[in-house]
Amino acid sequence: MKGVPTVLITVSPEVSAQMRPPRALYPKGFKIGNSVGRPGMRDLQKQVLRDALGLLTQNTRPGEFVTIEYPEYGEQYEPPRVKKL
Amino acid sequence: MTISRKCVPFTPFDRELAKSTIAIVSAGGVHLKDQEAFNIADDLGDLSYREIPPDVDSSQLMVTHHHYDHSDADADINVVFPIDVLRDLEAEGLIGGIARKHIGYMGYTMQLKAMYEGTAREIANEIDKGSRADAVVLTGG
Repeated sequence: MKGVPTVLITVSPEVSAQMRPPRALYPKGFKIGNSVGRPGMRDLQKQVLRDALGLLTQNTRPGEFVTIEYPEYGEQYEPPRVKKL
Repeated sequence: MTISRKCVPFTPFDRELAKSTIAIVSAGGVHLKDQEAFNIADDLGDLSYREIPPDVDSSQLMVTHHHYDHSDADADINVVFPIDVLRDLEAEGLIGGIARKHIGYMGYTMQLKAMYEGTAREIANEIDKGSRADAVVLTGG
């Protein structure tokens, strides 16, 4: 297996970073359960997926998280934090 | 092969999106309504996964996962498993097509080693050998 390119869409970037994904999109302020947007907001969902797929073709450094804001999402949420021991 | 804990296992994407097939692998507990639900009664989590066909009717998908509020996904599965969105992007010509196989699993487990060394590798193999995907979109809840 030579590997398959992946792109992660995460609403919990700090938590996801612990797993060292190759490249990731954080749609800023989206709540857990809304990785691609809110129900029925197809234009927003398409834009999030376009942006995520776009990371595949950009020269991201391994492990990079790209944060993008989507004002049309509406109310913003704080992402969960990793508890420090 | 042992991967360094500090290593980011990066695979470059060297194709054109418009000629590429894309698969979805979701940790959001997504599965077909007629597939066995994930076992949420086990405090250790469920290490199994479900194969989802490319021509799935998204109304036949559901979520079994008790570690996030999936009421929005219940209303529109695309918020965690964007299969209809991918179809739209295929129709637009942004991507070449939908991969032959997609995967749903429950991304909660207390058995991290078994998930990392077992389930994750099995899923990677399903994608590599079975889906013919050129790239994968990973989603959580």
